[in-house]
Formats: sequence, structure tokens, C-alpha cells
Amino acid sequence: MLVKDYMMRHPIMISPETPAAEAQQLMIENNVRHLPVVGDGKRILGLITRNKLRVPPTDLGSLNVWEISRLLSDLKVKDMMVKHKDLITIGPDETLECAAQMMIKSKVGCLPVVEDEIVVGIITEVDMLAELSDLLGGTVAGVRVTMRVPDKVGEYAKITSAIASQGWGIYTSGGVPSPKQPGFWDVVIKVRNVSKDDLIPVLESIEGQEVVDIREDL
Amino acid sequence: MTELKQAPPVLKLENVAVAYKVRGGEIEAVQDVSFDIMRGETHGIVGESGCGKSTIAWAVVNFLGANGYVKRGSIKFQGQELVGVTGEELRRLRGDQIAMVYQDPMQALNPSMRLGDQMSEVLTVHRGMEQKAAEKRCIEMLERVYMPDAANVMKRYPHQISGGQQQRVVIATALLNNPALLLMDEPTTALDVTVEAAVLDLIAELRREFDTAIMYITHNLGVVARVSTRVGVMYAGEMVERATVEQIYQNPYHPYTQGLIRCVPKLGADKAKSVLYPIRGRVPPPNNRPFGCVFGPRCDYIQERCREERPQLRQMPDGAMVRCHFAEEIDALQWTPSEDIVPPSIEVKDGAVEPIISVGDLKKYYEVKGSSLKDVLGFGEKRHVKAVENASFDIPKGTTLGVVGESGCGKSTLIKTLIGLEDATAGEAEFLGFDITTNISERASELIQELQMVFQNPDSTMNPSYTVGQQIGRPMRRFNTVPKDQIRGEVVKLLKAMRLGENYFDRLPRQLSGGEKQRVGIARALASYPDLVLCDEPVSALDVSVQAAILNLLLEVQQEFNTTLIFIAHDLSVVRFFSDQVAVMYLGQIMEIGPAEAIYAPPYHPYSEALLSAVPIPDPTAVQKHIRLEGNVPSAINPPSGCRFHTRCPRKDLLPDGGKICEVEIPPWREAVQGHRIFCHLPLETLRTFDPVITQSTEGS
Repeated sequence: MLVKDYMMRHPIMISPETPAAEAQQLMIENNVRHLPVVGDGKRILGLITRNKLRVPPTDLGSLNVWEISRLLSDLKVKDMMVKHKDLITIGPDETLECAAQMMIKSKVGCLPVVEDEIVVGIITEVDMLAELSDLLGGTVAGVRVTMRVPDKVGEYAKITSAIASQGWGIYTSGGVPSPKQPGFWDVVIKVRNVSKDDLIPVLESIEGQEVVDIREDL
Repeated sequence: MTELKQAPPVLKLENVAVAYKVRGGEIEAVQDVSFDIMRGETHGIVGESGCGKSTIAWAVVNFLGANGYVKRGSIKFQGQELVGVTGEELRRLRGDQIAMVYQDPMQALNPSMRLGDQMSEVLTVHRGMEQKAAEKRCIEMLERVYMPDAANVMKRYPHQISGGQQQRVVIATALLNNPALLLMDEPTTALDVTVEAAVLDLIAELRREFDTAIMYITHNLGVVARVSTRVGVMYAGEMVERATVEQIYQNPYHPYTQGLIRCVPKLGADKAKSVLYPIRGRVPPPNNRPFGCVFGPRCDYIQERCREERPQLRQMPDGAMVRCHFAEEIDALQWTPSEDIVPPSIEVKDGAVEPIISVGDLKKYYEVKGSSLKDVLGFGEKRHVKAVENASFDIPKGTTLGVVGESGCGKSTLIKTLIGLEDATAGEAEFLGFDITTNISERASELIQELQMVFQNPDSTMNPSYTVGQQIGRPMRRFNTVPKDQIRGEVVKLLKAMRLGENYFDRLPRQLSGGEKQRVGIARALASYPDLVLCDEPVSALDVSVQAAILNLLLEVQQEFNTTLIFIAHDLSVVRFFSDQVAVMYLGQIMEIGPAEAIYAPPYHPYSEALLSAVPIPDPTAVQKHIRLEGNVPSAINPPSGCRFHTRCPRKDLLPDGGKICEVEIPPWREAVQGHRIFCHLPLETLRTFDPVITQSTEGS
């Protein structure tokens, strides 16, 4: 699960000399929110977002229609983009967690993926959410269980062996320190080809653990 | 996995028409073509030559030449319009985001620059990379495309590496800048099947890894079935059908697509059990397209409406797009050939027939001149290219021997030796009681008359300033087979047999299409009523529908005159279809010889097995074993000791000591059944345990 596996390769890119109005249209037509701005050889120069294209009313000076249209037609992508020196980028071989950390810290929704200054892809918050959804098996049918387990070595093995002993398999799993109960972890697993009623007694028989939530998904 | 947000197509063409300005007006080479290519998708484009496939690819990158332009429609790349973009912007786009690979790698490489220099130029110019870093990346990329000894290849010139390696260099160069779109125009057509298979594997792998959108142009239905996800079928400048690859092969709607699929022999089909149906007529030239449906004049289902109204591309219930008024009503399974296409009737001969030609231990060596002083003075050690080594076979009268193998394996040398264009070095060859190991200049004219040849390229074997009639009549005059005053009548008879009218008598070669030229070539070979005709790749340069017609013609001729044929082709399904016996050659050595059906089923020679697993099959549901030969064909000057195939043999390990014996001893001939001989150290019991290479998941009809 590295950035290069989840990023979008070959994003639509734009050159710095393009009029801002064209960039706006390109984003709307293709339903994207970010365009890396590149020079020769896909060398990164900046990033333009839909937000960045909003012209603050104070910049307009007056509300004279003629003046506004002149101002807009003069605007180039390079005037409105986030410049390279202020831009946060990531390399393709970084982990997704690292990308997430960077996005959280700087509160941005998108990171251009850059290798030797050359744009190779783009990773956005939507890609991250897709990854989260896949991680927990969000798109496959099955029984989704949340177990609360003590923060001790061997607890996870108890779950896996209990399920394996019945001949079932865990499709996906994930765990976080429980937000509700310090010293415990919430483990989410998804088991396929099994009914909820068959699964409950098996999980409840595990000592020291608690079934917090169980539901049939999809 | 979660479908990520709906990504826009990388390339989107809408109603594109491309026109060329010529004297006296304009020609619309391509009309109303619309399709899109998503990221990570391979979109195949197939059709006969002259249908506008390449024109589309050129239009995308605006390579149309001074007189060509996009007349209507829009071409959008990554959401940005390409039509009308010129100069600097386009140059940047071509270098950074769109790459091209063309048919002939030698034309794409600069013969006077080292490969490393021309590859790294891409990076130093477009990216302003340092020379050192650029070279490092080039080597990495060459390794990605499985180039052996990449660092060394960088220092060589293009002519110092093989054709398959050249094409790999071109592909590696195209990928250096990580393009979003790759245009490939017949990238494997010039390559051998084994190399082609490796290049196709590579393309599929790179597409997955780099998420590149690929537009793949080819005329080979088998290749398309292997690489594409969706396919567009072009005919006379229009896209007549577009669907997923499974739909195209299993449920084609358009009569043209159905016709194309009937033209190619299925692997495993033979002439006794199945028939090829050529599509009658030929592709109309762009300035003379029929009104209404362009395919109308060649269509078996033509109705009044087709002549009056041009069909639009419309969607069928299963999502396929088709340009035909009656697509719902046409059922390919109900199809019967129309009356003007007469399939040749084949009688299967049984019982032993006298061999017309028997060849025993035939050798052909070429002497290689060295350049040292010793060599010049004649004291040096003589070295030889062993082009044909110990070839032995008999051909019964009226049957066909097919010869297959990679390029450079000695197929052509073998038949050149038989016809006398080359002297045999040693061995015996007897034809109708004549000894034919001698040069053609020493042969009696009766012998020359009985042995004729059909060449691969009809253009270069015909005198451009002689008429068709003169050329066909020449052998008759030369051998006095026909009285002088009857020559014209005989030539016309032959022309009619070739399905060419009397009006062709006075035409010049330049007034004929490729298929017609090849028919004239066959007529000329038959003019002296020979007993043995040697065909050197007679259909390789032709479109599939013409190929089917020529193959039928040859079969008919063979039936009528009881002619014996030696048939060279690199297309294994054509050879299987056409031949009674097949010989598989490798580095001048016949590796396996036997009845056609025996060659294509176990027991296989390991080399035949590898060849079969490389053939592209025009059926996406067929499952092939994955065997790829490593390395190149070794040099024939210094062939490997023992078994010539041991350096690349994937089955060597089945013998004790990792096949030590193969490196030392020349293998024995093993006779599997009567007439089926395999040249291998592996015992027949082991060879029999190999699984069939191709398994059809659904029974084809």
C-alpha cells in the first residue's frame, strides 16, 4: 500500500501560460478539482485548485463590468496557482499513512506525486477514502464485526484461530486503539460466506473479548 | 476494489473526419470516427489495409503531412482539444505525454547514432536531465523491457542488435517519459512469432504497471484478441463496429466483422474439414466510395435501404456499437456462402503415393570470408554458415509440405537450393529421377519447367514494364509447351482460373492490387504446368480476405493439376490449414516433421511446443500454455554443439544432469508414428506427457 499503487497516474495537467478561464473550464468538464501546473518535461511548477481560481471581490477594485472582464482575460494560471516553493508534494514510494499525515497536517485535499521534480501522478483525499473503504472490505458482501479486545499480545490470534477453526476465512481486517475505552483495541473484521447467526456464538466464546457491533453488509 | 471517481477518457475522438488535399479536390480518408480510450486500456483497431487505421493515429499527433488535415470533429486528449493545436504546444505534448511505436523499428532508430545516445536524448532534451542520470534511467528502462545486457546495448548501433531487440529499444524509448497515451501502429508485424509473443506480453505488463492508455493498430485478428480490451473495426474510413473483444469474436454484428473472422483459419482447422470464405471484392478507394453503406457492394445481406441510406453507428442491447441497418436480423450462424464464392472441394488422398521428390541429408553451407591477412591470402581457417543441415524428407505427389520456423532458420535457403538458385553443399535430392543438387544453369530445361516458384513479394518479382499477358506467356514460349499461336488463349485460360478476366491481359503490374499481383505470380508459376511449385510466403504480405482467396485458389489448382507444393509461411494456423505434412526448422535443422495434425498435438518437439504457445489465436477464450523462449537464435556460423536448440530449450531439465547430453551429443530421430519424426534426446514417453498447448474453453463450430 504505497502511494504509487493508489495514486492516479497521468493526471490532466496544464501549462502556466494557459488563461485561468480555460483552466476553470477544463476542471469543470472533466470533473476534477486539482490540476498540476507543469513546464517542459512535466516538471512541476505549481498546483491550481478550484478554490484558488476564486477571485476575491477586493481584487476587482470596482464593479465596472468592462474592468472585470479585462482583469479576467489577463489572468493566467501562473498568477493564481500555488507556487512550487509553497507546494507540498510526495514521492511515489512513500506509504499512504505518510501521505495522509501530510494532508492532515497541512489541511490540503491533494498531493502531487513527484519523482525528481517530474509529476508522475496525483493523490487526493478521495483516493485515501477509497483505500479506507477497501481496507475494511466496504465493497464486498459479508458479515462485518467490531471486536473490543484488550491491548495484549495474542488477542488477535485468538480471533483468527476461532474463525479458522470453523473453516471460515477473514477477508479484511483493521484495528485502532479504542476511542471509548483506554487499554483496549477495536478490531474490525469482515468474514465472507457465513451468516451472522453462525458467527456470533463463535466470537462470543472468545475469552476476554467483546462483540461491540455485528452486521451483515450489503 | 472501489471504482475510483469516474476518470475522464485519456483520448476521445468525436466524429473525426480526416481529408487529404489532392489535385482536383479533397479525399476524405477517414469519416465520422468516434471512440474513446480510458486510462490503462488497450483499444485495438483492426481492418484491411487502406481502411484508414494509421490515418487516425497520425491525426491524433497531427502527423498528416502538408496536405492532410482534420476536417471535422474533435480529438480531445486529457480533456484538451488537439485539433488546431500547432507548433510549440504540440511538440511539448508529443514529447511529454504521447508516444508512438511504429511497425519498422529500423525506421524509428537513427542508424548513425549509438542507441544510448538516442535514448538519453529524450530525457536530456525534454526534461533537461543530466547526461549521467539520463543514461542511468535508460538502462533501467531497457531492463524493464527485458533487454539482455542493457548497459552494453547502450553502446551499440541499431544494426548490431536483432529486430526484436530493436523494437524493444523503441518501446523503451517511448516509455521513458511515462506517456499517458501510447500509439502503436503494427508494432509486431515485422517480428517472428516467438518475439512477437514476448513483445505482446511486455505491452500487457507495461499497461498494467504504468496505467498507459494504448491505441493498438493491427491487421492481425489473433494479436488483437490477445492484447485488447475493446476493439474497433475499420472499413473504408469508417468505424463499422466497436465492442469488447469477447463480443467481437463471439457475437459480431457487422457483416464485415463476420466476414473477417471467416477469412482466417482457426488453429487446428485443416483443409479437409473446414473452408475459408474470402470476402468478395475489395476495399473501395477513398475517392470512389459507394453511396449508402460503404460495405454494401461486398455485403451478402444488401438490401435496397443499404444503397440509399448511410447507416449510423448505433448501440445494440449488449452495448456493442455497430454501423449497419440490419444488425439485429443478421445471424452469423445462419450464413451461407453466396454463389460466386465456390469453396474448393478437397479429396483426401489415402494410400501410399509415390514420392515426387526425395531429399536426403541435404546440406547448404555458405563460406564466410574473414578479413584478416591470413584469410585474404587463403590460409585462414574456412568458416561456414550452416544454413541447411541434413534435411531429409519425401513428398508424395499432389500433397503439400509446409515449412515453419523463425526467420533465419533456413526455410528459404532450403527451397532456393531445391530450385537451383543455390548449389547444394552435400547430400542428395531427387526429383522425378533428376538429380537436383546442381545449379540452375546446369539443369535441363525440362527440369526447370517442372519446378517453379511463387515469391513473397509480387512487386519485386514482376517486370514493371511488361504486361500481365507477356509475363505469364513467357514460360510457355521459353519451354515451348504451347504452340506460339495458342499462347494468348492459354494465358487467358490461366487468368480465368485465377479469377481474373481477359481484360487483365494487357494491364501492367502497377495497375493491379496486391492480391491481383500475387494471382498473376501464381499464374506465371503454373504457366509451364510444373509438377512441383515452391511457395515462399505467398500470402504473408496480403490482407486476410485476399489471403483466404489466394489459399483457396492454390488448393483448387492443386486439385486440378495434381501439383505438389512446398509452402513456407510463418503463420502457423495457415500452415496447419494448408499442408498435409509440416516440417519445423530451427537454425537450419529440421526438428520435427510429420503429418500436419501430428505436429499440432502431443508428442511435441520442445521447439514446436514453444512456437505453438506463441501463436496469437483469433479467439479470446482460447487458453494457451505460456512458454517463452529466452535469448536469441544463435549464430549459424557457430551453431551450438549437440542439439542446436539446447541453449534455449525449456524442457532440457527433464533429462538427467540438466540435459548434459543435449550439449554434447547430436540427438537421435525418434519416430512417434509412421512418418512423424522428432529430433530430440527426450524419450517419446516423456514427450507424450506434455499437455496440449491450446485448450479451447468453448467448442468452436
